[in-house]
Amino acid sequence: MTIRALEKISVGQNGIGSFILQCKRLDIHYCDHSGSSRGMNAFIKTHLSKFAQKNPAIEFAVSPRPRKHPVMIGHYINGRQKSICVANMEPSQILKKAELLRDASGDKVKRVNKPVTSINESVRGIWSPYHGNGMAV
Amino acid sequence: MSNYTMKRLRLDRVASQLLAAPTSPAARLSRPSRISRSIPQTCRHSSLYNTQPCQRRHQSTAAPQAPREEELVLEPEDGEPIPETLRSGPLPSPHPSRAASSAKLAALHARLSLSSKIPVETLARALVDPSADAHPKYNNANLAYVGSTVLHYHASETLIARYPRLPMAILFTAMKGYAGNPALHQVARAWGVESAAAPGEEVDPGLLQFDPMKPTVVMNKWGYVRAETIESQKFKSGKGLSGRVMYSSNPFGESSAAKALPNFEVDDGRNTKTMLLQNAPANAHANFVRAVIGAVHMHCGRDAAKSFVKSHFLSRTFDLSKLFEFDLPTRELARLCARENFEAPVARLESETGRLSRTPVFVVGIYSGRDKLGEAPGPDLDSARVAASINALKAWYLYSPGQVSVPSDTFAEDAAPWKPAYVDIGEIIS
Repeated sequence: MTIRALEKISVGQNGIGSFILQCKRLDIHYCDHSGSSRGMNAFIKTHLSKFAQKNPAIEFAVSPRPRKHPVMIGHYINGRQKSICVANMEPSQILKKAELLRDASGDKVKRVNKPVTSINESVRGIWSPYHGNGMAV
Repeated sequence: MSNYTMKRLRLDRVASQLLAAPTSPAARLSRPSRISRSIPQTCRHSSLYNTQPCQRRHQSTAAPQAPREEELVLEPEDGEPIPETLRSGPLPSPHPSRAASSAKLAALHARLSLSSKIPVETLARALVDPSADAHPKYNNANLAYVGSTVLHYHASETLIARYPRLPMAILFTAMKGYAGNPALHQVARAWGVESAAAPGEEVDPGLLQFDPMKPTVVMNKWGYVRAETIESQKFKSGKGLSGRVMYSSNPFGESSAAKALPNFEVDDGRNTKTMLLQNAPANAHANFVRAVIGAVHMHCGRDAAKSFVKSHFLSRTFDLSKLFEFDLPTRELARLCARENFEAPVARLESETGRLSRTPVFVVGIYSGRDKLGEAPGPDLDSARVAASINALKAWYLYSPGQVSVPSDTFAEDAAPWKPAYVDIGEIIS
């Protein structure tokens, strides 16, 4: 038996084969009395049910937070959270923020300065100085 | 090599009770005996199970007639003592009727894009590990068994059809990389499954429930296990590769099954040997994933299960060439060439630089006659030759005919007849 096997685990990449929405829960906090929650209260009354219907993969938890600014907190599969204070915003602006939280991956915001990020080997291979005709110096 | 692709799996035998509607609360609370045919009137209210989900399940092709409620209620549990009185303590896992009102469960159902044919109650059941609830009608052991057979079948047929020359050791490890506990644990975590701190009646049905200190079920049965397996375990034989092929009871070539519990023996009455797993959370997560596959198979049919397995498991990136470790690659290559009637392999120096420097590079190619089998650079002549023969061997063993059809493609109604796939005679044994 000259071949031994090294144990490895297959690597999943979201979106290859199947896609799992990374936002799993959205906490929505509001206050009944404060003026900063006026937009949030309108959002809950008018937009939220439609938004929740369109995104069944997210668990929505609406709860009051008296005498505090309204906040939306997204919980992600990677274990991180992302929270946005939506004080004094219009319902349409809050909807934008909710969509932002829904579409986020939960990772820290990183600068992406490479056009392609891949774990696959390059198709062309790495250039080798030992092959081909060489270069006259 | 393909000793386990063609084993016939009697899923209908294993899983017919999964499609029968789970019992009403009466059965759960009282477990009446065969003698007492009267059902307490208070417990007979119709639960959620007795209304819609049974009807929906009939859409599945494999679904048998759902038994009537009375039959279900009066069915005695196999061989366990049946108490006559109502159970007074709390249930070990949440009641199935709470599944419909769990936001977490509905979100998980939608996140996995499961078909509406799969009721949330089934998904809730898939989340209950045998260590949380030993009752086989309320835990996921049976579903997980169905799911594991479906998963192993598709993984093995894909691997063997796509890489017909894989050595057995690599095939076992590749199966484990796709369908083993560690991989399935990662899948479950990528699905966003949270686990409850402790199992109990009051926890949200959308949380994975298991108890690391209680006996559970390990899905390592595969088809049948030879009677000699237990003997060979006793005498520590069958540890070599051919012994693993013969005696291993799971698709990963491990024979720990003989030491482990016989399947499904988790009833609190019967389980005397306590088995504590090394990694109970990984086992519980993996069993949940298998149970979801089982649920897809039972409620949506074979094709849906196949595409589910393909999209969630077989599409994962796995570089098989990283699994190989060779003892004597040059000798193995020579044997291979002799077996295949190729000319004996010859190593030739193709290019070099800095032979007298601190960092020389030699590029060595391995030739058989006029055919180049492999090539590799190295810091000295010998290691370059060894690396080149490793590359040549990997090129042989990882040969792939490309996207080929697999046996399960012929299950479709209007499928073309099966053309036998090419499977190599096997690796070099020396």
